Amino acid sequence: MSRIELLAPAKDLEKAKIAIMYGADAVYVGGMFYSLRSRASNFDKADLKEISRFAKRYGAKVYVTVNIIFHDDDYFGIREYLRYLEEIGIDAVIISSLALIPIVRQEAPHIECHISTQLSSLNSSAVRTLKEFGADRVVLAREASMDQIEQISRKVSVPLEVFIHGGMCSNYSGRCTLSNRMTLRDANRGGCAHSCRWKYELYDRDQLVSDPGCLLSMSSKDLRASAYVERMIRCGVASLKIEGRMKSEYYIGQVVRTYRRMIDEIYMADGLSEERLTYYDNELSKAENRPSDDGFLSGDCDNSKHLYDVNGAGVTHDYVGFVHDFDENRNLALVEVKNIFARGELLEAFGPVLNNESFKVEYMFDENWNPVDLANRPTQMLLIRMPFPVSKGDMLRKVSRL
Amino acid sequence: MELLLTLRKIDMLEKVLPLVDGIICGKYFCSAYRFSKEELVQIRKYCYSLGKKFYIVMDNFISEDEKMLMYEYLDFIDTLNVDGIFFHDLGVFDAVRSYSLRSRLIYDGKSVMCNSLDAAFMLDQGIDSVMISRELTLEEVKEIAVNHPGKIDMQIFGHLRMSYSRRRFLSNYFRQIRKEYDYFDKETLSLIEEKREYKMPIMEDEGGTFIYTDYIFTMFDELCELRPYLKRGIIDTLFVEDANKIAQVCRDYRRINESNRDFIRESFYHNYPDHYSSGYLYQKTNITKDEQN
Repeated sequence: MSRIELLAPAKDLEKAKIAIMYGADAVYVGGMFYSLRSRASNFDKADLKEISRFAKRYGAKVYVTVNIIFHDDDYFGIREYLRYLEEIGIDAVIISSLALIPIVRQEAPHIECHISTQLSSLNSSAVRTLKEFGADRVVLAREASMDQIEQISRKVSVPLEVFIHGGMCSNYSGRCTLSNRMTLRDANRGGCAHSCRWKYELYDRDQLVSDPGCLLSMSSKDLRASAYVERMIRCGVASLKIEGRMKSEYYIGQVVRTYRRMIDEIYMADGLSEERLTYYDNELSKAENRPSDDGFLSGDCDNSKHLYDVNGAGVTHDYVGFVHDFDENRNLALVEVKNIFARGELLEAFGPVLNNESFKVEYMFDENWNPVDLANRPTQMLLIRMPFPVSKGDMLRKVSRL
Repeated sequence: MELLLTLRKIDMLEKVLPLVDGIICGKYFCSAYRFSKEELVQIRKYCYSLGKKFYIVMDNFISEDEKMLMYEYLDFIDTLNVDGIFFHDLGVFDAVRSYSLRSRLIYDGKSVMCNSLDAAFMLDQGIDSVMISRELTLEEVKEIAVNHPGKIDMQIFGHLRMSYSRRRFLSNYFRQIRKEYDYFDKETLSLIEEKREYKMPIMEDEGGTFIYTDYIFTMFDELCELRPYLKRGIIDTLFVEDANKIAQVCRDYRRINESNRDFIRESFYHNYPDHYSSGYLYQKTNITKDEQN
């Protein structure tokens, strides 16, 4: 049995590299066009080439999202774009337009076609249809339960990809145009305004039946499928997908690292104890800014899986610094400030290899060796004396709210 | 172009069937229609007797657990000798393999069927026609229809479906606010976003929750031009309670032409005042957040 793939999102080149360094087997990114996260899609051709090269060095794969719902005009330039993706060694495109399958075969024969969750494939017959159409992989709808995923997996031969973490559309993907009507932004072409998270009064004819103190919202909690990873491995799912192409490098690093370690432990120990699952859940919580649950994996979603009054839950850890370099002789880390912190505060460093290590900030200097007491200028580079070695790519976070 | 009507209530059948070329209906499973098998047989017979066509809708996504129900339903549909099946879940395409029904399939991908190439791809699979998305501009509709004359279907009247969720928004909401309310499968409920003023119909049934546009989409001005290219034009009656209004739009769409369309449109709007709109026909929706700001 081949090992399950951990697939991570990336908003830009820097975050894609973080995802790979922190343990993703593959990353999915959007180009400048044809991608559903219009604000996240800032990989130009040079960035795509660079991430493809970088990924190969780590033995990782790169998938490019070409998953807008195409209108006729949107196809302009697609053949040339696919040829470029082939040329730079992209491994797959994630598509929702079925007409792209034969086009990809013609223009980029080494690139796989992965069918986006935009097509909401929810049963084994739908997966078989897509295989007949030429799909190399199918991303299942987030509405499938774990039992259903197991059944589907047993019945189909095409590799399946399943979402395990991140934001959930409250409607079937690709079938929501609330944003189109309410903001003129096409949800299926990268303009989703998240109208499902807004608040609505409910009427029965002209009578108000909603509670003015708690209006109706369709907002769903985020997905966290940590408790199902072992079953997904055992039932033969090919890829575990993390959502969040708009997320920070901290989120990407922390979530990818946690799932990476969890998956490796499941393979190594042939399972995961309750205690270890709790540990990994705590790790995932450190990156969360919205409440989460297991979505449809445990069955239908009742009101406990919706958000009526809360939009964000806050994170238990603040991301405060990114390590760019480390001087082993002087134990000094070159750190880019991401959020405010002060000398004397307790921080935690973590990284692809580094386990969570706490330390008190004793000495900080700016690049002119002036002592600094308060790091409060984002992007400022500081030198911090470390009690243990760190590496480029490690991150620092506050633990004061634990 | 065949003029088709979605039939929601059996007592409307005699009134509307003579006015259209056929009707579309379905059973509780996999659609927002409520007819029993016996009623579907009865409707089918009545259509036959008047030389009208009869279509079935399988409008919802089907979970792995529901596949047996899908096959049972297809067994039944197979006995009806239907003129076509509007399907939404791609699983139906695989499932009808053993029924010889593939050539009678009509793919209604809702918001995902937006271009000529995807239409061509589905038509190449041997299905009868494709229903195009409701979110297209008139120019986009024309381009697809001209590229595939006689193979394209389109909703030409009614509230447009805006969202479809497996989540039970109404059940969950009433549970959350601890209120007993008769909401299930009811066509009288609507939402108003707190900063907006228009009412969007919402309905929850066994298939999940569905939200529709506040307005009724009409095509009085565009139908004459598109009619030669469309295979079927569909009048959707969901949330339209007035049987006279439905009958009138059937008559009007049948007789409308370039010279009488202004009169017909204005008479209809005058006699049946409501919130009407040309939907997205003249309104592109590819604005980005940056452009909006």
